[in-house]
Amino acid sequence: MTVASLVSKVRSGERLRPAEGLDLYRHASTHLLGRLADEIRARKHPDRVVTYIIDRNVNYTNVCVARCSFCAFYRPVGSAEGYVLGFEDIFRKIDETRALGGEQLLLQGGHNPDLPLEWYEDLFRSVKARFPAFRLHALSPPEVIHLSRLSRLPVPSVIDRLIEAGLDSIPGGGAEILVDRVRKLLNCYSKATTDEWLEVMRYAHRAGLRTTATMMYGSIERPEDRIEHLMRLRALQDETGGFTAFITWSYQPEHTELGLTEGTGVEYLRTLAIARIMLDNFQNLQASWVTQGGKVGQLSLSFGANDMGSVMIEENVVRAAGASYCMDEIEIVRNIENAGFRPKRRNMHYEILGDPVFRERAVPRILTLAVARQEQDQPVPAELAHYQARSRRAKTQRND
Amino acid sequence: MNIRTGDSGPGMITDLTGRLATGEPLSDRERRTLATATDILALGMAADEVRRQRHGSVTTFVRVANVTIEAAGTAPPRAAGEIRLTGEPASRDQLLAAVRTARRAAGDRPVTGCSLPDLETLAAREGVSLSSLLVDLRDAGLELIARAPIDRLSDAFVDVIRAAGLPVARLTLEEDPGERRLDVLQRVARLDNTAGTIKAFAPLPQRVDPAVPTTGYDDVKMVALARLVVENIGVIQVDWGLYGPKLAQVALTFGADDLDNVSPLEPLDLGARRAPLEEIRRNIRAASMEPVERNGRFEVMAR
Repeated sequence: MTVASLVSKVRSGERLRPAEGLDLYRHASTHLLGRLADEIRARKHPDRVVTYIIDRNVNYTNVCVARCSFCAFYRPVGSAEGYVLGFEDIFRKIDETRALGGEQLLLQGGHNPDLPLEWYEDLFRSVKARFPAFRLHALSPPEVIHLSRLSRLPVPSVIDRLIEAGLDSIPGGGAEILVDRVRKLLNCYSKATTDEWLEVMRYAHRAGLRTTATMMYGSIERPEDRIEHLMRLRALQDETGGFTAFITWSYQPEHTELGLTEGTGVEYLRTLAIARIMLDNFQNLQASWVTQGGKVGQLSLSFGANDMGSVMIEENVVRAAGASYCMDEIEIVRNIENAGFRPKRRNMHYEILGDPVFRERAVPRILTLAVARQEQDQPVPAELAHYQARSRRAKTQRND
Repeated sequence: MNIRTGDSGPGMITDLTGRLATGEPLSDRERRTLATATDILALGMAADEVRRQRHGSVTTFVRVANVTIEAAGTAPPRAAGEIRLTGEPASRDQLLAAVRTARRAAGDRPVTGCSLPDLETLAAREGVSLSSLLVDLRDAGLELIARAPIDRLSDAFVDVIRAAGLPVARLTLEEDPGERRLDVLQRVARLDNTAGTIKAFAPLPQRVDPAVPTTGYDDVKMVALARLVVENIGVIQVDWGLYGPKLAQVALTFGADDLDNVSPLEPLDLGARRAPLEEIRRNIRAASMEPVERNGRFEVMAR
């Protein structure tokens, strides 16, 4: 089909097949892709509201056995740079988040063999005991699978236990590219195959949880792999309707084993736009200002995004790979309004919570994102002694 | 008149930009409508169309060795296509000596330098005319004045540089004009550049308040409007070093055709694919353009 006929098809609201999406992605001009995505965004969000969330991106450990070649954040078991956050550290971060108007943690971390399922359950219960209304958007599918393997329990049982302990929703991390050939090349096939990643989300949706979906593009995959990734998400969304949003970002190569180069700003906007076109059953698309910077992040609002993502407060994973952008609530709202939209705060379910917090009361400015821990912090908190370790090194330490 | 896409529909903006792209003049009111529009895609499409009519898919870039006046004798990197003297000159003699020194170090590459208002200040301080100072600099080996910030100058500067035979490499904006952006662009469009003494126009501000930086919308809108309104300067430029690869690359799809201030260094630790030269070529190609390196004289160096 010609680009013109594909454009007509999109404008008439028809669903594109994978080959058609690939043709459009490859051959349509950047502005045309943006225009189509923007029209869909306007149809789904005619009120010109652009949302954002105030939450904190906390990485509870950087120790990981997955060893994905695109990751600059992880440290192997036994590394002197490995850390685990203590419960008190996490409580302090929640206090700081609430002071800024935040009501949720995005809690993710490495696949640490020395943190058993009980540690997560105790953490979640402790958080809910102290902060009953606070939400835990936690543990991406590969982390759930890791816990399943570690505890020798099936994934549904792990999810049920985590829900029982206080899990509110699951972030869509660890999807990378949902094509097994690519996952093998990125050394992330063993942490979760495509089907395993989707199966975690399928069960979570059936269990009543809402989740997000993501795509990290720009490493070694081909454009057709990106389209296939979107098709896998679209199919599951047709089945469950459990995804609240889709977020895509470009691979960040600094300090990674894989190396290579980062995708450009234009590639990001094109990829975001084709995602909006292909994911016709997703209501919300986030702008990834944390990887693209505030300017391209704002331009995302003309290329299909209807959400500026999170104020974030803290970020460790992308920073480890070279990107260090920061936008606090004031800056996010300024960018939304400058683009001609109305800013509204939301929760993970995309329910509108209200107007910007800083217009209701004074909140401190954030000019740099916080990091997981300070130099003087203990790398291994004392309470870990109460939990069963799996690595030889940790077993020895805990027995001491 | 309400110009937001969501309120008035994209049709009106598309109609105006379509007329501009075909060379049809717009009324002052219609231009103001464009300047305040939030439909940046319509602006971008029109600007891209005008840019392609003028330059095709060619995007030029220049690798610049920025050398302070005090260190003018420093050997510039081999890859630099322009040696640019930076900083405020302490005296006329110091500046002339720096230009001669840089000229010798540059070989056959052009030496540019200084900001025109700084030269105006220097001339006043030394009790000489700006014209005579420019002639002296030209005779010492300066080929172009590096920048002339339009918001720091009166329109008379065009006559002065033309008479002195010392062109300006880039007309710049020192500060973000905000809502006055169309006034500034229309002023630039009225400058007499028939002799080609202004080589390029860089419409994005050189100084930005870090507490309230310009936004992505502000930047691409300014670039697009510059392409649509400023017809007397063919080269619309973005500073690669100042604005960074992401915004600068996106600006290429909104009417810019030239990237200034690319690093001439070739650090080996990054590997060949991430060296500045490959990085800029990759970014230009990813924007569906053809990268062409030029020198500080705006002459093509290599394709």
